[in-house]
Amino acid sequence: MRASSARSIAFVAFGVALLLAGSWWGLAKAPGEVFMGDVQRIMYVHVPTAWNAMLALTFAFVCALCFLFTNAWKWDNRLEAGMEMGVVLSLLLCMQGSIWAKPTWGVWWDWDPRLTTTAVMVFAFGGILALRAFVDDPVKRAVWSSVACIVAFVDVPIVYFSVKWWNSLHQAQSTPQTVSSAFHWPLRINAFGILFLWIGLVGLRARVAALRRRGEMAPPLTQKQPATGRAPITGGAV
Amino acid sequence: MSGVIEGGWEFVIAAYTVSALLLGGYATSVFLRFKKEKARATNEVSG
Repeated sequence: MRASSARSIAFVAFGVALLLAGSWWGLAKAPGEVFMGDVQRIMYVHVPTAWNAMLALTFAFVCALCFLFTNAWKWDNRLEAGMEMGVVLSLLLCMQGSIWAKPTWGVWWDWDPRLTTTAVMVFAFGGILALRAFVDDPVKRAVWSSVACIVAFVDVPIVYFSVKWWNSLHQAQSTPQTVSSAFHWPLRINAFGILFLWIGLVGLRARVAALRRRGEMAPPLTQKQPATGRAPITGGAV
Repeated sequence: MSGVIEGGWEFVIAAYTVSALLLGGYATSVFLRFKKEKARATNEVSG
């Protein structure tokens, strides 16, 4: 096994260990909130998921820019991996939020600015992943999805600032100033848990993308075939 | 009405279960795809 793959697996294992510790702290040790009671314990997975979803999509945005500037395949591999992880985390974010909304707001969903912009984020990046699946040419696929990712990324800061800019039903951003100090540790531990988990998974997923593209672009050569016909884009690393 | 939510553990359990299932399911799919692509690449090199 390559050292980078072993490192990715170690990151995943460390992330899972942190998540187990943080969730235990949040469920068993941290006090309930004054008004929301035990329901507030959903915050220990919901808020870290939100932070990491936006971080993963920001990573994908940086990879898209790097690909367009360098034409190195490793950035396209990372873009695909980061975007997929961001969509999974955003989808999870909506599901957790919906479960939290029912006992606190009385509804599973509301077309409030934060929720609406988050739904747009899921569909925009999910759509780009679908676009990638339909384009056979690896060069076109990489360029188109990089450009689309940069355009879709406009929504990410809107999601973050939506609760500040508009009169939203959603509560304000969770920061050390808005969250009681008794809740800080499980939040931080779970945030780092999800961070390590997605860094590890993105590492492995990028390797999958690299191997898959290598198979698409370079069919097995025999001694009689010359090694020509590769696209003029550099780099085979993850 | 006091404005305080009583109980609600079923929602907490649901949120944590959904998180574990989705993240666990995605992690499993990534590991399986990684294993499959690695095996395919090895076969191409050897065969």
